[in-house]
Amino acid sequence: MTRIVGIDLGTTNSLVAFVDPQTGKPNCIPGPTGSTLCPSVVSLDSDGSIIVGAPAQRRLLTQPERTIYSVKRLMGRGPDDVQSELKLFPFRIDPASKNVIRVQLGDKVFTPPEISSFILRELKNWAEAYFGESVDRAVITVPAYFNDAQRQATKDAGKLAGLEVLRLVNEPTAAALAYGLDEKQRGKVAVYDLGGGTFDISVLKLISTAEGDIYQVLSTNGDTHLGGDDIDNLLQAFVHEQILQQDQIDFSPHGELAQELRRELIAIKHKLSEAQSTRLRFPLPNGKVYEHEFTRGALEALIRPVVDRTMVPVKKALADAQLKPKEIEEVVLVGGTTRTPLVRRTVQEYFDRRPHTELNPDEVVALGAAVQANILDRGVKNMLLLDVTPLSLGIETYGGAVAKIIPRNSTIPASAQELYTTGVDNQTGIDIHVLQGERELARDCRSLARFTLSVPPAPAGLPRVEVKFLIDANGILQVAAKDLRNGKVHSIEVQPSYGLNDADIEHMLEESIEYAEQDFAERQVIEARTESELILTATAKALAHPQSAGLSSEQRAKIDASMAGLQEAMRGSDYKKIRQRIDQLNHATEQLAELLMNSAVQSVLAGKNLAEV
Amino acid sequence: MASPFPIPNAPLVCWSCHERTLGTHFCSSCGKMLQLPQQSDYFAMFEMPRKLWLEMGGLEQKFLQLSWRLHPDNFVNATTEEREISLKRSSELNDAYRTLRDPIARVEYLLSIEGMRKEGTTKQQAPANLLEEVFELNESLDELREARESGGDTGALKLRLEAAEKNFQAKLNVIDGQLRDSAREWDQALEVNGDEASRQKIMAQLNELLNRRSYIRNLVVNVQKELS
Repeated sequence: MTRIVGIDLGTTNSLVAFVDPQTGKPNCIPGPTGSTLCPSVVSLDSDGSIIVGAPAQRRLLTQPERTIYSVKRLMGRGPDDVQSELKLFPFRIDPASKNVIRVQLGDKVFTPPEISSFILRELKNWAEAYFGESVDRAVITVPAYFNDAQRQATKDAGKLAGLEVLRLVNEPTAAALAYGLDEKQRGKVAVYDLGGGTFDISVLKLISTAEGDIYQVLSTNGDTHLGGDDIDNLLQAFVHEQILQQDQIDFSPHGELAQELRRELIAIKHKLSEAQSTRLRFPLPNGKVYEHEFTRGALEALIRPVVDRTMVPVKKALADAQLKPKEIEEVVLVGGTTRTPLVRRTVQEYFDRRPHTELNPDEVVALGAAVQANILDRGVKNMLLLDVTPLSLGIETYGGAVAKIIPRNSTIPASAQELYTTGVDNQTGIDIHVLQGERELARDCRSLARFTLSVPPAPAGLPRVEVKFLIDANGILQVAAKDLRNGKVHSIEVQPSYGLNDADIEHMLEESIEYAEQDFAERQVIEARTESELILTATAKALAHPQSAGLSSEQRAKIDASMAGLQEAMRGSDYKKIRQRIDQLNHATEQLAELLMNSAVQSVLAGKNLAEV
Repeated sequence: MASPFPIPNAPLVCWSCHERTLGTHFCSSCGKMLQLPQQSDYFAMFEMPRKLWLEMGGLEQKFLQLSWRLHPDNFVNATTEEREISLKRSSELNDAYRTLRDPIARVEYLLSIEGMRKEGTTKQQAPANLLEEVFELNESLDELREARESGGDTGALKLRLEAAEKNFQAKLNVIDGQLRDSAREWDQALEVNGDEASRQKIMAQLNELLNRRSYIRNLVVNVQKELS
């Protein structure tokens, strides 16, 4: 079995981490540049290849129409859901999109799970390069308040990236795992997680038992469209308005200039977390320069509405956990946006407690994902995570109302059974509509799936079908139906309302090969073969050298056998075997190398240069 | 609520070692997790009698203990079959804990497994002694809606509704007290192994109280919605 990594698939940055078996501590894995942060940006090159991370981020300025960021905001959503996002984000949605959004990059279209899979594949490559072995299983984190479709989309992305997703873990819960229980932390903990695009609050109870530590989530709440992006949008709108007033230049969010300005403004925002004021100088196309002195006070006045919005879910989560702010013993801050002093102050005042910020807020979720991966991988039996479903599961009843069958904040896995029968004679189908949300009417809740139970014709009311709705440990719905009269289990075609079906995924898996880098093992084989060719050529050349006459017949035979061995291994596709034979040949040619070296040294002394040896 | 376990109690044969097995959750021969609990109701899952007064600390302890062993985290590298059983069994454990932890859901569940309360048969009509008050309340609610539509003064109506809400809330508290009394009666009858007729009588009481409670609760929620 290969090792399992933990991945934080973030709105702004993504990371991959693992637990070091020696130290037992989680670590983030650095990429080629040495940074552990992989910007969640994807760009399609003109030759059709996919660019991910920092290089893609640079292309936001040069190739904005081929590049996408913050794709997490589109996961599991339909075209109608994202109209408001389109005003501020340069997403180019294919107008032909139906249930699943398709995003245009250059002349191609991709679904959000495909774009996310490119990011996951990049992180997979980072991990494989780091371990020197292939990685194909992962734990991936999601916002706690993600609904079923958003979770399913994340799982699909993993599959498309060639990863078996063993578990989706809620981000605030992962953060709690990363902080651990080792210090004085017992009792009730609130995790406030404000990231690039999502906000979560989770209330946990940490319990020590004889068997080990239990992390029991009592309640969770949030907003999957609230984060640092919203702060950036406010800043951008503010400056756009000023430039429009002063210079009559209208910035379209799609343009390169807007992207450049956005980058500058994000830098300003970061600076104001440390400094009290900073100055922006931004050259405009009309030759003038837009200048503005930003102060922390003015920034805080601008972003206060965003910070205040986070407090609504915080209060709901506490109410659901039946706790008062003062009953929370520890508060943990997670997500890059919690570096903002206003956020820290607001949280501290509300709970009247200094929040924990010891771990890097960018890394803590990935570290927690690694801890969960370790629990699953090594069967670590001294830690258990009991999470909840963030939204109530319901079914549409007569008149468009919703009957809640699994309440929000139920510990998962959770299930509910419903008994169905027919209303008219010889009815052969019963329509079932599954929803998620807290509202009373079906039209106000999120549609998860519709399906039809088929029943044999019979008088009305006679058929008895039991439908079991089960939310698994990933927070994803499974449905099974049983005919109670004959015990037969129905197979149910659940057509997701906002997601890819199995056929879509199969099709994308086939297509993804076109974009995929070669499989790790395949790359290793190619590299080993190339190296073998070099060493075989060099050995043949050395054997042709007069100095090789100094070899004993025994040594000579060993070299010949090793060469033959390597040639044979090269024809196979086991890179480990090829490496082993390379080592063998290197060992066999030690004497030969020495002879040549002596000859080279003599040549130098004789005034000849090395190339002539 | 339908009983989630349609299979009657019968000696179990372990799916893994094929021995007849005892034990509530795990096979007494090979130690594997059983596909169904030996006893098929929520009380039995926690190895507790069908009493309505439960010691919450003990219930939680048992829940955590079983979570350690049944949770899908333990079965990631196990066979597909074991993974599925773990998913099913741990979801049932969570459902059971959710139900038994809540005093009202606990009574409803007890009545459903005792055959007293059937799904879809709970009455939603106004209890006779409340008819007058319910009538008045509905009238006030209508008046409030009308006043809102015509832009009239709603202050006095709101005050009247707030008073009514308080009144019905007080009735709920009374019912909760009566439920506690009946629950105690039930537990005592269970302890002395009381006769079937008295058991039935207590269950009928509990059922009646639940119906009244659910009716009044709906009224209160409606008033709160209208007032907010």
